[in-house]
Amino acid sequence: MYLFICEDSPDGILTGVYDAWSYKIANHIKTHDEIGLLSAEPYSRRLFCEYIPVTVSSEKAAKVRHTICKNLGAEFYEEILNATLASDSCGKNQMDKADAIYKTIVIALSSPDGAKVLNYLNEPCIHRVFTLSRAAFNESHHLTGFVRFTELENGVLFSVIHPKNNALPHLAEHFTDRFPMENFIIYDENRKIAAIHSAGKNFMLADASDLNQSLLRQYSEKEEAFQKLWLAFFENIAIKARINSKLQAQNVPKRFWKDMTELKDRL
Amino acid sequence: MRIQQNMTLMEKLSILSTAAKYDVACTSSGVDRSGNKKGIGNSVAPGCCHSFSADGRCISLLKILFTNECIFNCAYCQNNCHSDVPRTAFTPDEVCTLTMEFYRRNYIEGLFLSSGIMISPNYTMELIYETLSRLRNVHQFNGYIHVKAIPGADPLLVEKTGYLADRMSVNLELPTSDSLKKLAPCKSRSTILKPMRQIQNGITVNKNELTVYKKAPRFVPAGQSTQMIIGATPEHDYQIMSVAESLYQKFQLKRVFYSAFVNVTGNTNLPMLPGGPPLLREHRLYQADWLLRYYHFKVDELLSEERPDFNVFLDPKCDWALRHLENFPVEIRTADYYTLLRVPGIGAKSAQRIVKARKNGTLDFSDLKKIGVVLKRALYFITCSGRMMYPTKLNEDYICRQLMSDRNMVPKDIREEGYRQLSLFDTTAEFPALQQAGSR
Ligand code: SF4
Repeated sequence: MYLFICEDSPDGILTGVYDAWSYKIANHIKTHDEIGLLSAEPYSRRLFCEYIPVTVSSEKAAKVRHTICKNLGAEFYEEILNATLASDSCGKNQMDKADAIYKTIVIALSSPDGAKVLNYLNEPCIHRVFTLSRAAFNESHHLTGFVRFTELENGVLFSVIHPKNNALPHLAEHFTDRFPMENFIIYDENRKIAAIHSAGKNFMLADASDLNQSLLRQYSEKEEAFQKLWLAFFENIAIKARINSKLQAQNVPKRFWKDMTELKDRL
Repeated sequence: MRIQQNMTLMEKLSILSTAAKYDVACTSSGVDRSGNKKGIGNSVAPGCCHSFSADGRCISLLKILFTNECIFNCAYCQNNCHSDVPRTAFTPDEVCTLTMEFYRRNYIEGLFLSSGIMISPNYTMELIYETLSRLRNVHQFNGYIHVKAIPGADPLLVEKTGYLADRMSVNLELPTSDSLKKLAPCKSRSTILKPMRQIQNGITVNKNELTVYKKAPRFVPAGQSTQMIIGATPEHDYQIMSVAESLYQKFQLKRVFYSAFVNVTGNTNLPMLPGGPPLLREHRLYQADWLLRYYHFKVDELLSEERPDFNVFLDPKCDWALRHLENFPVEIRTADYYTLLRVPGIGAKSAQRIVKARKNGTLDFSDLKKIGVVLKRALYFITCSGRMMYPTKLNEDYICRQLMSDRNMVPKDIREEGYRQLSLFDTTAEFPALQQAGSR
């Protein structure tokens, strides 16, 4: 058994797919069953397994992306991409994320059904990709609504998020389309990465471990007033005869509350 | 006019959002529109919830009235001309500021602007048009706008406004014209249905224009919706659902909303509903509405003159299946999509997934579970390769008891309110005004 240990990122996993695939060909390995991918260093190493570290390469990842899009279509790639963005802890005792992705790509490229294999949910690796991708998609869809921006002194809109899955690429794309003429920053505090957008341009994803925290607390003059107006609206719109905090927490899970203007003080 | 001058924006917003909250439609669905690279805003067809208020309802749009001043006297509405509440009105610019600043902070997906009737229907509609026009043209707002067409307003104004809005609605308010006459004497079926028909025709004409010229301005692209108040008047579910069905068929509405009645005016001609608004009934109506729109059911299959109300204890689909056991069990390997749709515990998504996944081999019960089928419900109605999940009898009473023991039959949030809803469902609830009127 040959196990490729890759970085837990879209490029990391796609590079893993590239390395595993070329390794199989170069070493005349008979079947893909003898190959596995890991998206994290294993807790303990097994006997008779060869562990091969993968160095992230954006060129290799781009090649895999190109092959997938060309042969299996954009929708298939979208599904794979969402799965790579999912947090691997989406289910216990499950097949490793990178491994499920690798196996799904292998099946799709070798089957006459191509991208349609994604429908075969009775195939364990495909079901795994489906669950991961759905979890990531659902969370980023929720966040397109739950993200809150505050206006800083310099007019920049700033937002902090703490998502389970890596929602930033999806959110950056969404808000670039929505706010083309705004300067905004979305900061994923768990992963210490930020999406940075300046008016009229495309966004960038950047490492944000050294973000200047004090700058972010200097709000614009009007900011407080609009927060208060929003809070008032939020209070008034609820129908007293129907108060139902359980339903509220079911619909907007509490883990999002601390980043939401109207809910953070209700935790 | 009792409009108070010199109110702050905060005071106005408080009054005019409080006054708007009983309008239940808050979805931002029905139109896909990407950003235009210069203004601000886009829209996604499934809609998007931005928050959930303390009553658990989705907040998607800035839902406000332009004014709560009103010359009409609808008995169920706290803005009616007899009620003693502080009155105010926004200016178009104030609505623009709130919308733009809330939108930039991602509090909202857009604006839902309704209004009481100030001075006259035309005067009010003109102000609404002015507001939308500024939002779209001055502020370059490209996000979602839902706007009310004021019953009785000039069709030309309604049309102009329709070119700026994504969705328009005219509320039907009450299911029958009799009830309308009694509770909303200034409105009539015809003043409500006329603009509804106009908007429908406008949408049809616009669709034709768009096929000829793609860049033609779009008229109400997200379609129109309406709302009925449930439980203020004695109509049965059968009447309510039949009205909804004909609105979908004859007026091509996108959505009909049902709003559990809350007695806000304390009007003694209206039911007091000591157990609170009829939420469970509202829930069953939404479920049935769903069956009409996505599951190809007809109202006549679900209800009848003899059985005019839904069973509160079972969802309408289970209820239907139990009364049609001769159609079951269905075989997962072979049943077509429409047959699968009618199986309790199989939703539209799982039905699609089953049809696709079974091409790759047989599905067993554990596969169905992974696909998202609720086996606890479905197991009485399906076979996989000729076998049922457990040996079970196809007996109405037996299955009914089993299904009712499933606590999820009543949604968790309503259940936890201690079933207070259930008592409301006996149809002997008091309707003093209408009973009297009816006996005259
Ligand atoms: S028209 Fe009727 S429902 Fe509308 S605001 Fe006036 S009184 Fe209320």
